Amino acid sequence: MPAGSFTRIGGGGGFWGDQVFAPIDLLVGEELDYLTMDYLAEVTMSIMAKQKARDENRGWATDLMDWLRAGGISLLHEKRTRLVTNAGGANPLACAEAVLALACEIGWNDCRIAMVNGDDVLPLVEDVLSGGSLVDHMSTGQPLSEVAEDLVSANAYVGSGAIARALENGADIVVTGRVADASLIVGSMLHSEGWAKHALEKGMEIFTPVSEWAPKGVKKPLDVLAGWTLAGHLIECGAQVSGGNSSDWEIIPDLAELGYPIAEINSDGRCIITKSEGTGGRVSRRTVAEQLLYEIGDPQAYMTPDVVVDLSNTTLKEVSKDRVLVSKTKGKPAPPTLKVSASHRDGWFAASDLVIPGPDAIGRAEKADSVLRGRLSDLSGLEIYTEFFGAGASLPIGLAHLKKEPTEILIRWAAKSPMRSEIIEFTRAIAPLVLTGPAGVAGYSARMRPREQLRFFPFLLERELVELRVTITMMQTLRTRLQEMDPLIDTVLTRIQKIADGEPEGLWRRRVARRVMKRLQKPTTTGK
Amino acid sequence: MVLERVKLSTIAHGRSGDKGDMVNIALIAHRKEWMQLLVDCITPEWLAEIFADMVEGHIEVHPVPGVGGVNCLLHGALQGGGTIALRKDAQGKMMGQVLLQADIEIDGKLARKLKVPLG
Repeated sequence: MPAGSFTRIGGGGGFWGDQVFAPIDLLVGEELDYLTMDYLAEVTMSIMAKQKARDENRGWATDLMDWLRAGGISLLHEKRTRLVTNAGGANPLACAEAVLALACEIGWNDCRIAMVNGDDVLPLVEDVLSGGSLVDHMSTGQPLSEVAEDLVSANAYVGSGAIARALENGADIVVTGRVADASLIVGSMLHSEGWAKHALEKGMEIFTPVSEWAPKGVKKPLDVLAGWTLAGHLIECGAQVSGGNSSDWEIIPDLAELGYPIAEINSDGRCIITKSEGTGGRVSRRTVAEQLLYEIGDPQAYMTPDVVVDLSNTTLKEVSKDRVLVSKTKGKPAPPTLKVSASHRDGWFAASDLVIPGPDAIGRAEKADSVLRGRLSDLSGLEIYTEFFGAGASLPIGLAHLKKEPTEILIRWAAKSPMRSEIIEFTRAIAPLVLTGPAGVAGYSARMRPREQLRFFPFLLERELVELRVTITMMQTLRTRLQEMDPLIDTVLTRIQKIADGEPEGLWRRRVARRVMKRLQKPTTTGK
Repeated sequence: MVLERVKLSTIAHGRSGDKGDMVNIALIAHRKEWMQLLVDCITPEWLAEIFADMVEGHIEVHPVPGVGGVNCLLHGALQGGGTIALRKDAQGKMMGQVLLQADIEIDGKLARKLKVPLG
């Protein structure tokens, strides 16, 4: 490891639906200072917003509870590893309450949970538009006002400041909504390396640019932040950096037992990427390079709310087995705007597939496709997209010469329409092809229910509009709060606890005591 | 200059993914010193020809000297974006691996000097 202090941070998941045991593996096998869990892909917030609209307790990544219940919460407690996660999604409050309740169940009564809120800018969008401001789609330039009525969600990518402040306030677990993925890691580093402490002592706000949080003596804070951000980017997609989705898939050892990544991040911005001990997978210059450039856009200007990262000259060096040193990353000041990912309703969708054999599989597939289209030709709003898998569906036109005669084909149809009824007609027309199309059509499965389509609408908002809305709420049990107000109350509480646990005191007293203890486990909140 | 035809996978590996309606294809030379070969043949025009039926917007190719690669950005490549694309590969995750099958033409003399295995 390079000179200077370093912090060990685990990346226990790449998206909502990743392997649930991964964070447990990391916690059991490794000594981590922080465990970070990214659950939010571009589309996730809109799905969660819809869930919350139907049920006020939903709209967050409930997968979090699966691994916390399976021993994760006890491991966090015993190993004193801090958890930083955006599992709160569209409903950080419900998420934080569930986690606190679970902590109490295992007797971790003084667990302190911080909830970071304020990324939801949907109400703000209405104000901005009604105030006459023009907001356009980041890439297409379409005015937001055109889709304003159909908006389902609008969440700003918030930076690391609030996470760092929450940790500085003593949080064991930080639950956020939409923050930039890498900011989970940057926030942890700001805390670990004393930047958060320094900012608090200087009376800085959580939205003061984090590059100004650097204590005296830190050289090139923007480069340090860029290095931390890149470390975060490298581990926030889970095992994609440690052997998953690798071009070297044929030679990666034991993909079934793939290990999740750990970043050992230096105070100067350099880091070593490695993975949990004794697991499958591989961390090599090649696996890290593929993740380095994954979905970053311009390598000289990878945009995040904390810093603009220039990774064009970042170097990777294998220092020992499964350990890659990442250095020479440069940073530029964060942009004056924040990216907002909004989504709006955009019609209905369904997809279905059938298989068809040879000989002349292509002839049969084309026949089945034309029969289906003929039967649905009177539906004016319906658009059907057909792919013949096995016959070159993955090949763009410039590689069409690589197509080979297939022995069978999977025909996949996807359809969209502004009308739900047309999508239902489409799904009903698939099964009959088995008996009424070319010979040998097979593989019909249950009709897919029409799904409402959400179109992604990214735009930029002035930072201060968003950042003034960001709040940190410290949540703890009433018991912890009382103890903090008056340490002597502990004697009383211990006595009540004993009665509740069944000390011979008579049934009525025990019931009252249990009621009191239950009340003491309720979450209470304090503002930022 | 004598050109040699090789598969792109002979000189590079890669990965692809999405950002809105854009597909990001990262290509990294197997050896850092082979990067020039990538830069010479992976141009926006070449990519536009390959993906003519899939990409509606403009194409950028950014050199990445640190790791010896290029990052290719294909705008308007996902039928409006991953959430509404009708294509099965709605996030362009296949496109990088698919592209590695393409034939490219590289400077034979330079390739020999750099010890690129030629067919």
